[in-house]
Amino acid sequence: MKAPALEFHRPDTVEAAVAILAEGDGAARILAGGQSLVPMLNLRVAFAETLVDIGAIRELAAIEDAGDHIRLGARVSHARIEDGEADGHCSGMLRHVARNIAYRAVRNRGTLGGSLAHADPAADWPVAMIALGVDVEISGSNGNRKLPVEEFMVDVFTTALQEDEILTGICIPKACPDLRWSFHKMRKKAGAFGEAIAAAVHDPESGFCRVVAGSSAIGGPQRLNLLETALQEGPADDDAIRDALTRTIGPLDRYEMQIHTVCLRRAIEEVRT
Amino acid sequence: MTRKDTGVGASLLRREDARFLEGRGRFIGDIEIPGMLDVAFLRSPLAHARIASIDTPEDADGRVFTAADLSDVKLVPPASKVPGHRIVAPPPMASNRARYVGEIVAACIAPTRAEAEDLVETLAPDFEMLPVIASMDDALSEDGPRLYDDWDSNVSMETGFDSGIDEIIANAPVKVTRVLDMARQAMVPLEGKGVLAYWSERDDQLVVYSSTQSPHQIRTALCEALGLQQRQIRVIAPDVGGGFGYKAILHPEEVIVAALALKTGQPLRWLEDRFEHLTAGANAREHRYEMNAYADDRGRVLAIDAKLTTDGGAYSVWPHTNGFDAIQASGILTGPYDIGGYRVKTQTVVTNKPPLSPYRAVARPGACFAIECTMDAVARAVGRDPAEVRLDNLVKPEAMPYKAITGKEYDSGDYPACLRRAMEMVAEAPKTPAPGRLLGTGYAIYTEHTAVSTSTISHIGIPMMPGFEQAAALMQPDGSLELRVGVQSHGQGMETTMAQIASQVLGMEPDRVVLRHGDTGLSPFSTGTYASRAIVMTGGAVAAACDKISVKLREIAAHLMQCEPSAVRLEDGLLKGPSATMTIADAAETWHFRPYELPDDVLRDGLEVTGGYRPDGDKGPFAYAAHAATVSVDPELGTVELIDYVAVDDCGTRVNPMIVDGQVLGGVVQGIGTGLFEESPFDDQGQPLATTFADYSLPTAAETPMIRLDHSETQSPYTRFGVKGVGEGGAIAPPAAVINAINDALRPLGAELCAVPATPKRVLGAIFDAQDRAKADLETAK
Amino acid sequence: MTTLSLTVNGRQVNTEIDPRVNLADFLRDRLSLKGTHLGCEHGACGACTVLMDGMPIRSCITMAASCEGVEITTVEGYDDDPLMARLREAFREEHALQCGYCTPGMLATAYDIVSRMDRADENEIRAELAGCVCRCTGYRGIVRAIERCIAEKSA
Repeated sequence: MKAPALEFHRPDTVEAAVAILAEGDGAARILAGGQSLVPMLNLRVAFAETLVDIGAIRELAAIEDAGDHIRLGARVSHARIEDGEADGHCSGMLRHVARNIAYRAVRNRGTLGGSLAHADPAADWPVAMIALGVDVEISGSNGNRKLPVEEFMVDVFTTALQEDEILTGICIPKACPDLRWSFHKMRKKAGAFGEAIAAAVHDPESGFCRVVAGSSAIGGPQRLNLLETALQEGPADDDAIRDALTRTIGPLDRYEMQIHTVCLRRAIEEVRT
Repeated sequence: MTRKDTGVGASLLRREDARFLEGRGRFIGDIEIPGMLDVAFLRSPLAHARIASIDTPEDADGRVFTAADLSDVKLVPPASKVPGHRIVAPPPMASNRARYVGEIVAACIAPTRAEAEDLVETLAPDFEMLPVIASMDDALSEDGPRLYDDWDSNVSMETGFDSGIDEIIANAPVKVTRVLDMARQAMVPLEGKGVLAYWSERDDQLVVYSSTQSPHQIRTALCEALGLQQRQIRVIAPDVGGGFGYKAILHPEEVIVAALALKTGQPLRWLEDRFEHLTAGANAREHRYEMNAYADDRGRVLAIDAKLTTDGGAYSVWPHTNGFDAIQASGILTGPYDIGGYRVKTQTVVTNKPPLSPYRAVARPGACFAIECTMDAVARAVGRDPAEVRLDNLVKPEAMPYKAITGKEYDSGDYPACLRRAMEMVAEAPKTPAPGRLLGTGYAIYTEHTAVSTSTISHIGIPMMPGFEQAAALMQPDGSLELRVGVQSHGQGMETTMAQIASQVLGMEPDRVVLRHGDTGLSPFSTGTYASRAIVMTGGAVAAACDKISVKLREIAAHLMQCEPSAVRLEDGLLKGPSATMTIADAAETWHFRPYELPDDVLRDGLEVTGGYRPDGDKGPFAYAAHAATVSVDPELGTVELIDYVAVDDCGTRVNPMIVDGQVLGGVVQGIGTGLFEESPFDDQGQPLATTFADYSLPTAAETPMIRLDHSETQSPYTRFGVKGVGEGGAIAPPAAVINAINDALRPLGAELCAVPATPKRVLGAIFDAQDRAKADLETAK
Repeated sequence: MTTLSLTVNGRQVNTEIDPRVNLADFLRDRLSLKGTHLGCEHGACGACTVLMDGMPIRSCITMAASCEGVEITTVEGYDDDPLMARLREAFREEHALQCGYCTPGMLATAYDIVSRMDRADENEIRAELAGCVCRCTGYRGIVRAIERCIAEKSA
């Protein structure tokens, strides 16, 4: 269980990293915290001829207040978020989500950007970020672009990143201080990936409202627009949740339907009360 | 210093801790031999396949080996005396047919493990898929595939026992039936298996470092496989990072690495990685019990009629065979209860899975799970409290020693008192559920045959498990003592407890004693550390060797102090005579360096002795315990939180109570793993589905409550110091206690779970079933 | 090969490495620091936990080449650190180890928990320990040892 032979680069600018990616012709991969990629390399279920370690690119570790949003560099670790470095604006939601990812030793290395770019369907950040309506910033050979995280998360282990692109930052809109949120994760044991994840967010000032579910069983994060009106209008009803899940995702077996429904209902109830 | 502080009964802090706390342990992966190369294996990716060919790169000569290269290695089949037991020994490497995912097909050698794995990837094997036997049901299907072409079925072993229960069945007012499933598991010592072998010219020996619990056993098997004399192999177990039975069997890798080290003349090493362990090592438990209990109206159980099926996997491991689980489960299925009628049939089937191997407490967690869930079901059927029903059924202390219907003799103990103590402790458990949660409490009680005796084992014909032991005691000239034992201490703290026993017998300070263990080059023969035997067997042998030393020392002292040897006492490190006192060091030094002060007859035989031990009457003592779990169940998600756990055990005299606590606690958490988390599922093509810790869930500190312990000490009448084994016991009761607790919690929903581990999916499944039943009943009522 | 400069247990190391090597193998094979143990090689068991710049990390899923300029502390490297000395004593007194294989990772994790938390109840300690598997002790001794060391901080 040892990683296959590979080349290693550790550039100190985004531009240099992009250049290496462009040269790698698809066989180069970004190494951020490595908490997903390195286990997969050790198991030889992921392959990379070239690793581009972004650990020396300082700007990617920055946390900035940018007016109407807060910008997190892509390699800000879960632990820094857990410790509250980025949490002024989301009423503790970022901290809560970070604190419940894996274990402290993993959170010290694992990064927000890495989690989004890896697009593990069972991961927490994609669900939370879609629920908060964040944008992501991308740099590539053809310049920079910015897009809503929902568009970034394309499919299971698939994002909108091109082969020569890097996720550089996450822009989290500043919410009102009364932002109501709930993040429910059902898991088999502490630190494990969620069997079912549900997030609900409601900003009473702006009317911003999101309900998102996630897990491997449902193919990663799924925004449930149908429930977002329900969240604002009346109590969550299991039939309505099941209906929304079926219409958004398709049929689920009884167990999966049950745990996702319960997590969603609890999340919605918590935000409403 | 008194013996109470340092001898039997003292909670001495452990001698071995210092090196581990400072990172100075020496595990198999820490050993470096000049010129050593690493081995990686090509393993079958299919559960059942014909190996048509394996293409190797042209430059791979001397670096890649297949079964053809090991044609001179002999198979080492385990022995069984069970009539009709069909045994197939695992080949070190599959030659033309692979029978489970992970079975070794080729070995690759390179300077580093990474490069050896690179080499594995260059091999081009051609596997032709064969029909797969992926489950017990597959194995038993009439027209399904056969694992062995020349067998008429996939049944490897069948056993049975019938005390004659037809009359009881005919008259019993209460009958309870349950089918209970215990999933397949991996044992997961935190350090994987590992082996390192090289030929030593100077010693004229193959030196084999192995992460094993049983160095002499492995030597025996390797000699048989390689055609060497036993003097020609030295097996050394360095520090071993947990065993749990996984390291008490012969592994194909041990044979391959030893054989290739001989063949290539190079030091070779293989270290098991976690992926290998969770696939090729998914080899424990997997029992199905069909239980019928017959009882009176008060829940007094009159007879048990049971059928047990175990999934034996593809081969029979050496030395225990694939039948050990079934034999042991059927031998203890009536548990600690006084049950007058018993009938059991067992069948062990072969499937395309790794060979079934004995895991901590072997079959007893399964047997306990079966009888204890049945006992709860009986209590439900008669509308009584499960703990009260148990009290009525337990063997009474006045009946000890008690001959069970299975033929086993329970040597001593007060089972009802043990359960009552657990009930008292449960009274302090949380009683108020959190909103939306259901609380439940469940009990399980067991009796465990520890340090199994020759007579117990011989009838099933496992020659490598004799019930005797030896230990050497070497008195040093300065009065310090070296003990040499063939067992291997891998967490049990024997470096401490054996020194305590020496302290007890010789009255010397334990830090004047050192224990050498786990090395065939140093110690007398031993079958190793397993079956909760070390403190009974090795402890007894150490005491016997120290007795001999004691006699010698007192003879020396008596001569020097001019008194009778019988008048000399060994106390506080001193030899005390009627009118004089001398130190052990004085006596030892005199013997070694001033022989002219001693007469001939005192000098004879020396101060280095071997003691032998066998419990009185060749009887293994029975340790026992009552456990109680309290759980909080989320009935909407099926999640279970263990909020309290109580274990009251009796392992006779506790040589070191602190270490006993540690053994019980560790066992309990492993049992909690079996009950709630751990499972090695396979799909219908025999593919293992839990190949990393992302899918194979182990209990951590976060999943376990502060376990509350209590003990009683009923001395065994048959063993030195009255000890009984304790290494395995903790793991026996938790699956049963946890399931009984969950079912207690689920009672208001009419749901009952009959399988472990109790994952959310299984718990919700039981709730769904209850909902469906209620719905169907309602429909019928309409 | 790629170059690597870092500090390990206070000692500066400048070397060339095969870039595929993870930090655990680098420490064990190149620096002979065998106290860092591999239990799973996929970041799930905690046995290989070491401190990087004072923070616990999984050395099995950290590429050695990523460790440029960092400071690594392994179980061999605490010298006279008073907290580690106290943890070791408490681990021994609470019977917090048996086979000893998880112990180096447990100690690094415990060191971090006691350093970061001025107060913690049993459940919080248990939650913090969730990433470390011990197959032997049942965790009680480990939890108690950490509890004691946290309590002593405020005493």
